[in-house]
Amino acid sequence: MNMKPTATVASLLPFPSPLQSLIRDSPTDHDSSTTSALHSLAIQIVHNLQHQHFWTHLHIHTHSPVTNAPLPRPLISGLPPQRLYIHPDEQIELVKSADRARKAAAKAKAEKDATGEDSAAAASLDVKAAPEREWVLPTRLSEKWTLRRLAEIFDAVSLVPPAPATESEEGNALNGDVSDQNLVRENPWRTTKRVVLATADTDSTVVYYIMQDGLVKPRQN
Amino acid sequence: MAPDSTLVSEPFPISRVAGRYLLFDVDVMMHARRAYNICGVHIGTVPNLSQQNVFLGIPLELQPEEARVLVEQGHAYIVDDAEAHRNGFIHMSREERLSYVKAMDEQGLELTKETVKRAEERSDQVLRNKGLKGKGAKNDPSSASTVSDDKSDRADETLFDSAPVEPASARASAKKLDPTYVTPTTSYPPLKSPGDAEHILPNVPKSYPLFRYLHSRGYFTMPGLRFGCHYSVYPGDTLRFHSHYLATGMDWDEEFELLDVIGGGRLANRVKKAYLIGGEEKGTEQADDDGQVDGVTNIAPVRAFSIEWAGL
Repeated sequence: MNMKPTATVASLLPFPSPLQSLIRDSPTDHDSSTTSALHSLAIQIVHNLQHQHFWTHLHIHTHSPVTNAPLPRPLISGLPPQRLYIHPDEQIELVKSADRARKAAAKAKAEKDATGEDSAAAASLDVKAAPEREWVLPTRLSEKWTLRRLAEIFDAVSLVPPAPATESEEGNALNGDVSDQNLVRENPWRTTKRVVLATADTDSTVVYYIMQDGLVKPRQN
Repeated sequence: MAPDSTLVSEPFPISRVAGRYLLFDVDVMMHARRAYNICGVHIGTVPNLSQQNVFLGIPLELQPEEARVLVEQGHAYIVDDAEAHRNGFIHMSREERLSYVKAMDEQGLELTKETVKRAEERSDQVLRNKGLKGKGAKNDPSSASTVSDDKSDRADETLFDSAPVEPASARASAKKLDPTYVTPTTSYPPLKSPGDAEHILPNVPKSYPLFRYLHSRGYFTMPGLRFGCHYSVYPGDTLRFHSHYLATGMDWDEEFELLDVIGGGRLANRVKKAYLIGGEEKGTEQADDDGQVDGVTNIAPVRAFSIEWAGL
């Protein structure tokens, strides 16, 4: 007799959203409510990054890659579709090299013209910055933070997130961009730890801010 | 003429007036700015045009943090101005007082003589322009153009026995001169420059460790009121550079809202800066208490985080 009313209530409920079913279906260790709350938050951020910002190679870390100790909260690492952060000094270098490339192309074109071949379209300044893997710190707007807790997060992360072995192989097999991954690791301009602060509001809006360890001069945006 | 900041002898006094830290000497201001990255804020305006606040001059008000940094590093010391004046004038000896009054009188007399002399010259000039001979011209032996006239004049005047009048009248005018009363506009002198007797350390807000850290890294700072933060931080002199950071200092375990970080980051990004939060790093929560007592010797490291909009 009890079953019937609940069944009708369940049928009246709207169909769960993809995000809700994703969180519900995710395998969590239900040891405490706080860790699972933070875990579902991480899943929500991953969902947002994957489907709204087209990030790839997303991975939720529960242990620090530096110390292997459990993290205060799950962190996310992932690869944005284009470079998320370019240090102003690096930007100057990139523009300079792009300008050199453009001049070389123009020169080659002029030589071609001299030989009588058709001229291609005018070369434009093509700044190439390969995307880099980023750390993402999922937070809720209602949380309060302290400098100590922020420092704990920064102490636990590495300069560049470790590429998950299986996923990176998959990615390379799919895209064939082996050089891309190498470039990321060798970027000499990435000298300070940075974490993308992802803050979710109750209406599931997520805002992203880049946090860097120490004094880093602002970009010339 | 540009003031010479090399003349400043250290430690220099910082006047504390009604809880404000003020510098009154242009040389000292330049020295603090050149050598120690201390800008301060000019607060002096024209007394009868106090509404104008665009072109402010001396005195220079220092933030308590700036005064504290200078004192901690031994470049300056704090003088409680009211106390220094009270003590200085009460304990001033009779001889000192009289000699100062005498000096002021002499100064006033000089001023009067100067004024009288200029007035006479002016009237002479006017009389000469009108083709008349001024009375003062006779008294002036250096005026070469009227030498021959004077001689003939004197020859005439001796007939009437008026020659001896001139020196007498000159003496009389010097005697009846009243000294102009000079209002003293400085306190040092008459007071002797007070020494660093009290070792006052300015009281500073909790954002001070971040300020000290930024200052030690060679940054210039200005008050951050305009950007809703504690300091706007410049990579060089504020007249030459745009600021790089909007800095907010806090305690290591002070809770802050993420909304403040987002708001600060968003505003800073809008004005091409980075938002900076930082504070003094503390180990365990039990061990913090000792650090505050002797802040000069035991400086805990400061950790700061720069925040920029990610553009997502």
